[in-house]
Amino acid sequence: MLTVLLVDDDAEFTEVACTIIEFLGHEVLTAGTLEEARDWLKKETFDHVLLDFMLPDGSGAHLFNELDALPKRPRVTLITGHPSVKSVIKGLCGPTVDYLVKPIQREEIEAVLSQKKKGNEPVEEKIEKHFDLLIGESPVMKDLYKLIARVSKTSANVMLLGESGVGKEVVAAAIHRASESEGPYIATNCGAFSKELIGSELFGHEKGAFTGAVGRKEGVFEQAEGGTLFLDEITEMPIDMQPNLLRVLENKVVLRVGGTKSIPVNCRVVSATNRTMEEIAQSKVLREDIYFRLAVFPITIPPLRDRKEDIPLLAKTFISEFNKDNGSSYRWEDGQLETLKAYDWPGNVRELRHFVHRAAIMSDPEKSEIELPKTIESPFAQKQSTTPALQAGRTIEDVEKELIYATLEKVNGNKTTAAEMLGISTKTLYNRLHAYGDLSKDE
Amino acid sequence: MTSDEFSKLSVFVHDARKPLNRISMQAELVKMALNGDVPPEKAVAALDKIISSAKDCSHTLTEMTSELGDNIAD
Repeated sequence: MLTVLLVDDDAEFTEVACTIIEFLGHEVLTAGTLEEARDWLKKETFDHVLLDFMLPDGSGAHLFNELDALPKRPRVTLITGHPSVKSVIKGLCGPTVDYLVKPIQREEIEAVLSQKKKGNEPVEEKIEKHFDLLIGESPVMKDLYKLIARVSKTSANVMLLGESGVGKEVVAAAIHRASESEGPYIATNCGAFSKELIGSELFGHEKGAFTGAVGRKEGVFEQAEGGTLFLDEITEMPIDMQPNLLRVLENKVVLRVGGTKSIPVNCRVVSATNRTMEEIAQSKVLREDIYFRLAVFPITIPPLRDRKEDIPLLAKTFISEFNKDNGSSYRWEDGQLETLKAYDWPGNVRELRHFVHRAAIMSDPEKSEIELPKTIESPFAQKQSTTPALQAGRTIEDVEKELIYATLEKVNGNKTTAAEMLGISTKTLYNRLHAYGDLSKDE
Repeated sequence: MTSDEFSKLSVFVHDARKPLNRISMQAELVKMALNGDVPPEKAVAALDKIISSAKDCSHTLTEMTSELGDNIAD
């Protein structure tokens, strides 16, 4: 049962409407003017307000501020005589308002009042955001939350490793949030600055330090004082700039470009890279001494394909964000969520979010169904195909062939190295390749 | 049509919709009475109100035609 306030100046209408609403099992009070409505709102708590747009003492919209100020904001349905007012109201009061257009039918009243119950359902399955930011209940994510909670209590520098699109920046923000530090969260992308500018971005510069340095500028280290500094794509930082960074990390002081005075800095550095630890070690994109300074606490963020059970949660969150922004009411069907789960998402959560938004944009705004494209494709998906999941139903021969080719690709076709990696003799490798018909007789 | 005329027309349309809304709601009441949800005498009262609302609506429309018709004559 709901407590409903019906505000309309047509007494005959309110009388009949009351009979109907009471018959539907709700308690209803009426007001003929804004003033009467305000009186009721002071005395009673309402679940739902049916509000005429045009009242003798002003527009029903005037009541919105007061309704917002209530401890429990009732649902509001505006009654309007003119369908075209709908769009105006939508702009005025946001998309969360329902409408009844006169002449009103009983079913319509029933529908808006029962909307309350429907509206509750998504609230019940409210998706928890860990640290107000992260979504997912899979075991790998639970492990991640544990790591974040632990490390946030310390002042250790964290390095986040993970593929593109897994949400490294979100995790960095979560660490900052969980640390409850007083300073700000400052994020910068080391790959976005030229060699000349990165020094100024990180450490700041003094006026006149170089051509174009018209004023003094604080670097991100200074800006993040007492907080968290997020350095994205740390491995893209020019290697000859890294000794400067090392000095700051070692001595906890920065020297602005062109400056002479050391400025003490105190912030946690969270860095991120989409390279794996092995790649970092092999490719010399990061000096070893810097790595150990930054990765006091390395955290690997799992790719989306390793936590497929979280895909429905993420998809639901993204669609409800979209609905909120656009006033639409799209909903997933269970079958669609299964389709999303079946895909590997090489672009990870970012790809999923873009995909969901694109599907929502392509869908009919009058309906709640989401139209999924027939295939999910990404220009970056090729990477994925080289490491397909092993599945029952394939022959050993088949998998062996694939492994041999994948290995060869990795070592640029060097058969000796490939054989070594595969743990077979070079001769065996040649025999296999001959069998695949991939080598000419004389090779 | 000038904007002045349009706003005049809007007022009439608003006034005409009011009895239509009453008719719609009273009709729902009659339906409920036939279902035995409300006492039958309510249905009789509702039907009377429907008739008078219909007359109200018709009256408003007559008023509108004469008012706007006058304007054309001007």
